[in-house]
Amino acid sequence: MTDRDLLAVAFAIYGCAFLYGLSFLLMRRPYSRVAMLIQLSCGFLLQTLGLNLRGTTIKAWPLGNPFEVAQFIAWSLVLLFFIIGPAFRLRLLGFLTAGLTTLIAGLSLAMHSWDHPYPLRIFGSNPWIEIHAALAIFSYSIFAILSLISFMFLVQQHGLKKKQFRGIYQILPSVQQLDLMAKRLLFTGVLFLSASLIFGAVFWANNFDLVPVFKLTATCIIWIGYLCVFTLRMQRKLVTRRHAIATIILFIMALLSLWPVESARGPELIDKTSVAPQF
Amino acid sequence: MQSGLESLFVLGTSHHTTPLDVRERFALTVDQTNDLQAQIHAQEGVRECLVLNTCNRLEIYCLVTSSSSLEIVRTLLCKAQGISELLFEQHAYNYTNLDALQHLLEVSSGLDSQMIGETEILGQLKQSFASARKDQCTGKIFNRLFEKSFQAAKAARSKTNISRGQISIGNVTVNLASRIFGQLNQCRVLLIGSGEVGEKTALALKSRGVDDISVCSRTLENAQKLANSLGCATINFEDYTSHLEYFDIIICSAASPKIILNKTALHSAMNQRPERPCFLIDLALPRNIDSTVDSLENTYLYNLDDLSIIANENLCARKNEIHKAREILRKHAWSIWLQIRRSEQILSVGDS
Repeated sequence: MTDRDLLAVAFAIYGCAFLYGLSFLLMRRPYSRVAMLIQLSCGFLLQTLGLNLRGTTIKAWPLGNPFEVAQFIAWSLVLLFFIIGPAFRLRLLGFLTAGLTTLIAGLSLAMHSWDHPYPLRIFGSNPWIEIHAALAIFSYSIFAILSLISFMFLVQQHGLKKKQFRGIYQILPSVQQLDLMAKRLLFTGVLFLSASLIFGAVFWANNFDLVPVFKLTATCIIWIGYLCVFTLRMQRKLVTRRHAIATIILFIMALLSLWPVESARGPELIDKTSVAPQF
Repeated sequence: MQSGLESLFVLGTSHHTTPLDVRERFALTVDQTNDLQAQIHAQEGVRECLVLNTCNRLEIYCLVTSSSSLEIVRTLLCKAQGISELLFEQHAYNYTNLDALQHLLEVSSGLDSQMIGETEILGQLKQSFASARKDQCTGKIFNRLFEKSFQAAKAARSKTNISRGQISIGNVTVNLASRIFGQLNQCRVLLIGSGEVGEKTALALKSRGVDDISVCSRTLENAQKLANSLGCATINFEDYTSHLEYFDIIICSAASPKIILNKTALHSAMNQRPERPCFLIDLALPRNIDSTVDSLENTYLYNLDDLSIIANENLCARKNEIHKAREILRKHAWSIWLQIRRSEQILSVGDS
């Protein structure tokens, strides 16, 4: 079995978990959390194996092309769910995580051009730049979960304001729980992104010409955006609904920024002595 | 319904057949209920019996071997209640064998209750059964029959939406508060006015873990009386608006002809607590809270109409499930009946 096969099976399991949750929601009944957790665990295990296999082949973190970046985001998303899901028992988070993971993993598998070959040791011989990339992508996963929670908040708040009480509104967590969780995730995400940028900045300071200006600008805009939202939140000036909308917009911007960041990756960064095989 | 007395029967009155003023006359105390149960069990021809006495129903379940037992039980019941047999006859019903069993299942599942699908009746039935079992008024058949009826009630509830959605103002409020705050034990409640609905709503919140309740009323005596019954504190009506930011849930049920809580006061309070939501419940008529406060960020305003609509729609949804639940119970009743007949070979007078 190739790494891509394992990732495809993991995608199928995530899809099953999503459909399982959806079928129960359509019947207006809560799904079993244990069943959802088992399905996500199976998918996660296979995805970990797939990414590990890919990482062993390229001898680095598998973050060399859009396919791997998308898979890594999906993997981190499920990992985060395992951390915060059981601890805070946020209803529907498992279902929405399964949905978003299926979408991201499915998209990456469907777009064959994303999985293009790239030179081996794409991050060169500097391990810090590899940590920078991994932390940045992990922070994006945190922001993905944050946007899911913000979405859940907006739905629940809409239901309460419009006096809706049936269906999904009864299953969603309370607005206060969601708002508190969003605040914590924002703090964690900003922390990881900042750490990632610090590692990146060290590399950039020593290799000024190797980092494209466009990539630097896009990354800094996203970071400043999240930092502003975080600061305003701490000052209690951007709260609840507006905070939820801001985090969703920022996450969409962060996703869109991945493309120019990826395309602006300088060939100078790459150690051209070896090339990874076609996947 | 089958005619004539057979081995299992239920005799009783309930809210379906008896108006409240008559039900009051039929009511028995706990001691009277136990005495009646013992007297019935001591009668010749009565193998097992159980008396169910709640505010909405008084029922006697009996397993008998004699056809005259129904009349004896009826006489004993009327004697215990101190009412004429004629009055009792006007409001009473009785079912036998499979119909009696079906009735028991419908009672235990809340299908026969005034508030359809309510679960309190199951607890009351379990309590009556435990008491009758302790007094050895029940035996092998009834022990099995009632245990099975509790299982059937659970099945009907889990397979249908008969118990879903809250149908009282207090419980609807608790449900909405949970959607806003999650756990309610950290919530602070302010009850403005001493209206009965407000008090019931506060009690419902208290039953779900709310500890911190404050009462304020124009009449200090009323506020203190209510505070004593709820076990909470009072605050002055004149300056409650200066404390608004400390409260998560504000219940208004004051008899005031005009608005007593306006948008400006609440806006100022919300500025002090922008991250904490505020749930406002206006139970007064005319309304106590300015309806425009709903436009404020992080505030949720519900008035009596909003809560009644939710309660009524939930009740309609439950009613729509009655047929489905009854079918499930019918299958259970038939299955239980066959099991009991097979194991005990109950001899009915009608069969012999």
